[in-house]
Amino acid sequence: MIREIFTAGVAFACLSLAPVAPATAQVPTAAPAATEKAAPVISVPEGFKVDVFAAGIGRARHMAVSPSGWVYVALMRPQKGFGAVALHDDNGDGVADQKLYFAKGLRGTGVGIHNGHLYYSTDVSIIRWKLPDAGIPTTKPELIVGGFTRQRQHSAKPFTFDDAGHLYVNVGAPSNACMEKMRQKGSKGMDPCPILESYGGIWRFDADKTMQEQAKAERYATGIRNAMALDWNPYVNSLYLAMHGRDQLAEFFPQYYSPKESADLPGEEFHKVAEGANLGWPYSYYDQHVGKRMKMPEYGGDGKTPADRPGQMPLIGFPGHWAPNDLLFRRTGTWPAHYQTGAFIAFHGSWNRAPEPQQGYRVVYVPMDKKGNITGQWETFANGFAGKGPIMSPRDAYSRPTGLAEGPDGALYISSLVHGGRIYRVTYVGK
Amino acid sequence: MWVNKLAILTLAAGLSGPAFAASTDKGHALYMANCGGCHQADGGGVPMMQPALIDSERANGEKGAVIDMILHGSAIIPMDESDYSNEMPSFSELSDDDIAEIATYVRTHFENHGGAVSADDVRARRAVRLPAVRN
Repeated sequence: MIREIFTAGVAFACLSLAPVAPATAQVPTAAPAATEKAAPVISVPEGFKVDVFAAGIGRARHMAVSPSGWVYVALMRPQKGFGAVALHDDNGDGVADQKLYFAKGLRGTGVGIHNGHLYYSTDVSIIRWKLPDAGIPTTKPELIVGGFTRQRQHSAKPFTFDDAGHLYVNVGAPSNACMEKMRQKGSKGMDPCPILESYGGIWRFDADKTMQEQAKAERYATGIRNAMALDWNPYVNSLYLAMHGRDQLAEFFPQYYSPKESADLPGEEFHKVAEGANLGWPYSYYDQHVGKRMKMPEYGGDGKTPADRPGQMPLIGFPGHWAPNDLLFRRTGTWPAHYQTGAFIAFHGSWNRAPEPQQGYRVVYVPMDKKGNITGQWETFANGFAGKGPIMSPRDAYSRPTGLAEGPDGALYISSLVHGGRIYRVTYVGK
Repeated sequence: MWVNKLAILTLAAGLSGPAFAASTDKGHALYMANCGGCHQADGGGVPMMQPALIDSERANGEKGAVIDMILHGSAIIPMDESDYSNEMPSFSELSDDDIAEIATYVRTHFENHGGAVSADDVRARRAVRLPAVRN
């Protein structure tokens, strides 16, 4: 029996540093219809099992799971006015029995649990509630960070925490390649790129201090176009991220890139990010076939000239445009050792590979040891989300992975925002 | 009677067919070069990022609506009213003829029946000053 309740959380349409309203009403509503037609079959390695934990929940983005097994999901668009949903499986059958909506009037991407609180990010703020033992937050939310600039492109504010009380927030660049004329063929890149002053990086905050502002905070790393996928690696005590590479190389520079080359370039970069790191955007990109950073064509590159400005080499360059949307290091130790200290990356899947078929739409695993060394080729862990292919247009993909979270029992949750929104749950059942 | 009707239809198709087909080819090529990367070859767009053009209110509405989008891009749509996160640039540097071809292609394909747009229509819209809403 599914119990579904929409509950008011916070209503502040114009997010500012002003105090926010407390939770007020509980309004029961009908369940949104789940889209079940042509639902895909997800393939996982032998010994694992996949359940559809929830369907029809809305535009699901990132997730966090509490110690009591409640799954908190941020919604990119309000579902009947609410920007988050809490899910719980009461009878242990792998399917959520309770769906409680909260965060009234909000829309967001990031969710995280830290120090007894549930954190949530809209495009312009990060707030938190006291984490309830069960169900949805009942306390008044606190504003942890406010004042992020409103922007269209790459506006989401995914975040993560370290073990020393810091909050790391991606502030994506509202740009493709820092062009003088936004996404126009023939436009040069601005030099120096002024966007980097307040975007295109990771900003670090105090995880437990209220009313912080980006302008007064510390930029931790730069040269990052947009990193939706970030997590703290607890085994090496470092931030890791995967970033979305630039779009439209062949469209803007057909003299240097064929459509086929442009479908696969640039590589989607996976990095270990230390304080002060510079990942190279917009002056360079990573060519995974050459194994080098190349000069961005907006800054004089021609597809063959190596970069001449700072930009650290990624650990891996995944195929172009796969769109890494979340990153997860497991912490419970409930799965085989192979999966314990490496990185799971959810790829949302491409839109920018035409006329080649669109790709990505999967969760991969990067095997790493506890010192952070990559110990083998990355492997596809969960696949088939898009449904029957080839996928020529992204709207034909049934599910597109957007978030990852680990339950206290070790289950891996994978969210998708299209076709009504879904959460898949992967468990290890042994051979 | 039936034969006459068919003959007239055939004649009409014979007269307008080749000219329309040539224009469609040019419109298709211009669409693919300038629009298809984001709005996709099938006009399906990208969920949450770039709008679909299929059975589109804008493409079936007044001529100026599609022309304005091509001339000004997403800057004419207030951020709060947009359900799409990517930005569309201005294509005002294209010629009036090319913009008319693209607008016609979009308004007569992807299940749209808005009808053709001329270079004169584009010229007329260029003269209109829209309120700046870039935000």
